[in-house]
Amino acid sequence: MSDVKDGVLDAPVERTPPISNREAARLMLRSFEYLGPLKGQMTVKIGFQILAMLPLIVLPWPTKMLIDHVIQGLAVADLPYSYPFFVAPLAEAILGMSPTGMAIFVGSFLSGMLLLIGAWGMSGRDQTFANVAQGTDEASRSENHANQAFSYMGGILGLIDYRWTLRLTHNLNHHYRSKLFGRMQRLPMTSLDDQRIGDSVYRVMYDTSAITEVCYRLVLTPITAPLHVALVVWVIYLSYGDQPVVIWTALSIVPAALMITFPFSGALRRRMQAARDTGSETTTTIEESINNILAVQSLGGQDREKKRFDDDSWRSFAEWRKLAVLWILMIVLAGLAAAAVGLFVVYELTDKIFTGEMTVGDLTVLMAYYLQIGFSATNAGRLWVYLQGRVIGLRRAFDLMDAEIDHQPEIAKPLKDVREGYVFEDVSFNYPDGTPAMKNVSLEAKRGTLVALAGPAGAGKTTLAYMLPRFITPASGRSTIDGNDIMLLDRQDLRDRIAFVFQEPALFDATVGENIRVGKPDATDEEVQRAAEVAGAAEFIRHLPEGYDTPLGRNGGRLSVGQKQRLSIARALVRDAPVLILDEPTAALDPETEFRLVAALREASKDKLVVVIAHRLSTIRHADQIIFLQEGEIRERGSHEELMQREGGAYRRFVELQRGGGGVR
Amino acid sequence: MSESAGTATQTPGPSGQGDPPKLGNIIKLAFRTLPYLRGTWRDILRLAAVALPFILLAIPVTMLSTDLVVNRLLRGEPVTSIEATLLMLDPAQFVDVEKLTVESRQILRGRMVLFAVVSTVIGTPIFLGVVFYFLRLIQRINQSLRMHMMAQVQAMSMRHHASTRVGESIYHAYQDSSMVANLMFMLIRPIPSMIRAVWLVFFVYLLDWQLTAMLGALYVLAFLLARWFGARLRVEFRKAREANTRLTARIQETMAGIKVVKAFGIEAEEQGHFDRHSRDAFHSAYRARSLLAAYGIVSFIFSAIPPLAAACYLAVYANEGRELVAGAALAFTGFAVWNLGAYSYAMGRMNSAAGAVRGLMGMWGVTQDMTVGMERAFSQVDLKPEVQNADDAVAFPGLQDEVTFENVSFAYQPERPVLQNVELAAKAGTITALVGPTGSGKSTLVSLLLRLFDPDEGRIRVDGKDIRGFTLESLRDNISIALQENLLFGTSIRENIRYAVPEASDETVRDAARVACADEYIMEQPEGYDTPLGERGTKLSTGQRQRLSIARAVIKDTPVLILDEPTASLDADTELRVLQNLSEWGKGRAIFIITHRLSTIRQADHIVYLRDGKVEEQGSHDALMVREGGAYRRFVELEEGSREEQPAAAASPALGAVGGAK
Repeated sequence: MSDVKDGVLDAPVERTPPISNREAARLMLRSFEYLGPLKGQMTVKIGFQILAMLPLIVLPWPTKMLIDHVIQGLAVADLPYSYPFFVAPLAEAILGMSPTGMAIFVGSFLSGMLLLIGAWGMSGRDQTFANVAQGTDEASRSENHANQAFSYMGGILGLIDYRWTLRLTHNLNHHYRSKLFGRMQRLPMTSLDDQRIGDSVYRVMYDTSAITEVCYRLVLTPITAPLHVALVVWVIYLSYGDQPVVIWTALSIVPAALMITFPFSGALRRRMQAARDTGSETTTTIEESINNILAVQSLGGQDREKKRFDDDSWRSFAEWRKLAVLWILMIVLAGLAAAAVGLFVVYELTDKIFTGEMTVGDLTVLMAYYLQIGFSATNAGRLWVYLQGRVIGLRRAFDLMDAEIDHQPEIAKPLKDVREGYVFEDVSFNYPDGTPAMKNVSLEAKRGTLVALAGPAGAGKTTLAYMLPRFITPASGRSTIDGNDIMLLDRQDLRDRIAFVFQEPALFDATVGENIRVGKPDATDEEVQRAAEVAGAAEFIRHLPEGYDTPLGRNGGRLSVGQKQRLSIARALVRDAPVLILDEPTAALDPETEFRLVAALREASKDKLVVVIAHRLSTIRHADQIIFLQEGEIRERGSHEELMQREGGAYRRFVELQRGGGGVR
Repeated sequence: MSESAGTATQTPGPSGQGDPPKLGNIIKLAFRTLPYLRGTWRDILRLAAVALPFILLAIPVTMLSTDLVVNRLLRGEPVTSIEATLLMLDPAQFVDVEKLTVESRQILRGRMVLFAVVSTVIGTPIFLGVVFYFLRLIQRINQSLRMHMMAQVQAMSMRHHASTRVGESIYHAYQDSSMVANLMFMLIRPIPSMIRAVWLVFFVYLLDWQLTAMLGALYVLAFLLARWFGARLRVEFRKAREANTRLTARIQETMAGIKVVKAFGIEAEEQGHFDRHSRDAFHSAYRARSLLAAYGIVSFIFSAIPPLAAACYLAVYANEGRELVAGAALAFTGFAVWNLGAYSYAMGRMNSAAGAVRGLMGMWGVTQDMTVGMERAFSQVDLKPEVQNADDAVAFPGLQDEVTFENVSFAYQPERPVLQNVELAAKAGTITALVGPTGSGKSTLVSLLLRLFDPDEGRIRVDGKDIRGFTLESLRDNISIALQENLLFGTSIRENIRYAVPEASDETVRDAARVACADEYIMEQPEGYDTPLGERGTKLSTGQRQRLSIARAVIKDTPVLILDEPTASLDADTELRVLQNLSEWGKGRAIFIITHRLSTIRQADHIVYLRDGKVEEQGSHDALMVREGGAYRRFVELEEGSREEQPAAAASPALGAVGGAK
């Protein structure tokens, strides 16, 4: 781990520390947690799976009839072993028929089976699944996983079973997605700052399918695989019980299959992880170079970036190749083992045929049954290996489910209005990595005043502002509204009393009017227009093709930064909350609009608490109280005039440099 | 609302909305992958050369072993003389007898087992070798595709990136390359199946003509089925893909605006939207996948009919001992008449043919979804870089006198012009400040100088020569830029500084850092200049990163230097020092500074005030300040806070009205 650099840990898809078998098991079991409401559907699916076993048990026998009676012309009575009870009716029906009659009869029976379950003999057995080939990358594989469903049958029953299963996995998946999306919305502001959007999309869209799949397969296979094996062994015993070699061959297939698949599981998991890690490194490389495309192009780094990508990509391919070799090796070994069993069986059973103890038909029946056992056993054996591939996604999803979410006290105090204002006493806050962001801040912000937060970048202005709506919770100290501890207030209530304008305006894919109404869904057209007027947005909205009904497209695609900013200010103004917070609202405004806005804010502050973060003097100087922050601490506070009188004061120096009067040239 | 979102996220493609890509188009698309196979034909031939002898050998071997196992071993019939020779058996004991004794059957069994073991031991390594070779081949094709797309993405003009999301670009380069590789694979993989299917339809004629007829009928039917389902599958999968895109866009949007969502407490509404979109997505996926499943089932049933029918009537033939069509020719294998061995063998061929058809149909079904993605993949490959070298481009000769913009206009999207008729001149040895509100086009203006895109109208000249006449490389080599967003790479500080000049000495690096006032804090880092930076240099503060990117621009030592809000996050003292260093260093160079800060602007010789993409005013600070009511003067006054009284009164009623709307 020590060689893992910070940069790699910052990568969107993290380099994952190895997951132990025990943790893998724990994670897998945990995916059952959410199965609750779908128990009924799951039970039906298990029922289908069991139902599918019955025809499989019957299928070898009609083929035997064709071989023994039609081709070899043996009479039913001549057989060394009689038919088991469940095929007896069929055997009775063909009694005394001509070979042609028998062929027609058996043929019609098999046609019926084909239509019903999509299988008619040993070589043709349908299984229904509908994966698409979208590419070999993680995302599209997950897309297939998300639509994971299969049926061990074909035909009419197979289609019904498949559709049922698909519904089931979709329901499960939707449930998880929805849940994870909800969690994500509730993450505290600080962790959202770090989290990348692409990463969240990935988690919601694809990692959740890991939960679904693990949960679904982990319920099904352990129930159905042993049941199937037991059923087949029982049927073999029923028919050929007096031949011990037949029985113990059947029984030895299971451990043989498991012994081949199991030792590989550890190696496979490690290779899988290595392959994934190099894959995500490649993604990081390409992401970095596209993110930095401006720098790359302007600094002439294309060739170097290409080389870097080339190397990373090829290394990732090499890892995948190693994984593939291991897989192929496993499959070949399994195939060889199956061939060995086959040879052994032929060796043992041909003696019985030489002596007439068994017919060729009996041999085909037994071979068919052995194949079925091998199939189920390998399925069960591979389950663990297969699921391990999904564990990483599982953990990413669960990590998010477990992440700390927005604080909400158990008994939340309502907050109907803000009368007095905020009081902070010795409040501190640390970044997630432990470095202090704010140290012992005490302040008072009264309703009816305009408070400006000023100071150099990184001084903690935004952090302080985030504490007001409890976007972040302090590490120590006490903050109150009208004497009530903020931590005890109801989250929704608290935020309903506040209107916040962020530094980067974010708009939704909706109309102009709808975007403003985010602040107050039931605002009248008049209110919306007035807010737009004050924010300086009314004019450009009038020039839009459909005015307030103009759709904006993704993140306000059609607007300039300044226009977006004005809309987000209008959104806050229409909310008409007692507390109004603006984080650098004027950076993208031209002087005139800024001036009007500042004037409006001053007016508003007669009745509200207005908190403004600003760099520009023109915005700051009118504040009733200026709080000058530096390195997470309050350096000075007071009105512009008061602070300007302090000889050598931090604020005064800040202002002088802003004006360019501080002895330049 | 979902309606409008639908059209907005529609997958662009030549075939337009809802209209499924035609069969012909798919085949055309498939053939477009051929050029990427260039350089691999030899490998493919080599693979075929290894595989072919085995395939040919397999025909008699399968016939003989089926006969040996079924007819001789299991049924105890005497061995043909050819078989006896091959297995080195005594003809007296094996050929010229009525029925094989138990003892000779055991000997025969021993030989057969031996044969199976030997062929497995020889065959497995060869098989593994072929598989591995093939894997490498596919990966190599994929790698070259990826590289091609990556180069494409990089060469694309910034205009493209401004309209495409970063994520989408990655998606293109990464996913689409594997998509193309997959299609190519899909193009190769059916070939053996097709050969098998065609070969078998003739081959089974040797056994029984009705088998041929049934297979022929199956092929026709399969083709019709595939065509009927294919069109419907494409429609359904396109719908599913669109629903999925809408859902992804929804999540992206919510997460992009999450602060607003939280601040305004609209989580519940967003959750509602999400749930609806998620259900929609699953619903369309359900329809598409169900159809694909049904297609699989139907194709299985149809392809199973010929073998099933053959199983029944050939059983009767065997019972009757009827003669094979080419019985005489096949007598050496023991298949002169229908018997259990011939039956087994024929069933094996029928199943193989049915399997080939099933496989082809399956591949066809699975490929339907890819065609939707393929169109996009190829659209990416086809995009021509917008900014290219002119045929007669010359190397940038250096700056003697001045850089001029003449009537330059530019727009990322036609409906929203970013720059309109910009005129300006920047002399060597001067600092030009570009001033104006955010979004007024300042950054775009300097990007044009770098030819990250070309102007729609007008021209940019250096010493009177249009910059489009210079090679891109030489132009960019002669301009350095310190960007607004300080993009750093995940290497050491030193490597980051000399990114543009990899051969720069440590001393040069340090000098550049000194100009940018970065030396001090770098030396305070744990490993000094060798301190590694995380992705985007997360360990440094914004101000530190800004200084690093200034150093990076300085080290390039070019006649033109552009600083895009380079000092916004520096404290006033540092900013002052950086600027003084720069004006010292910048003698004889043209320096452009984009900035908001008055203290920075005052350092400039020439100020260009931009608003809404137009140059509103330009001149020196003093010249602009004497203009009564000038835009720049107003800006300065507001910035200094020396004008305040009268507009406040004008604005106040407006907000009063909002406040009073309770």
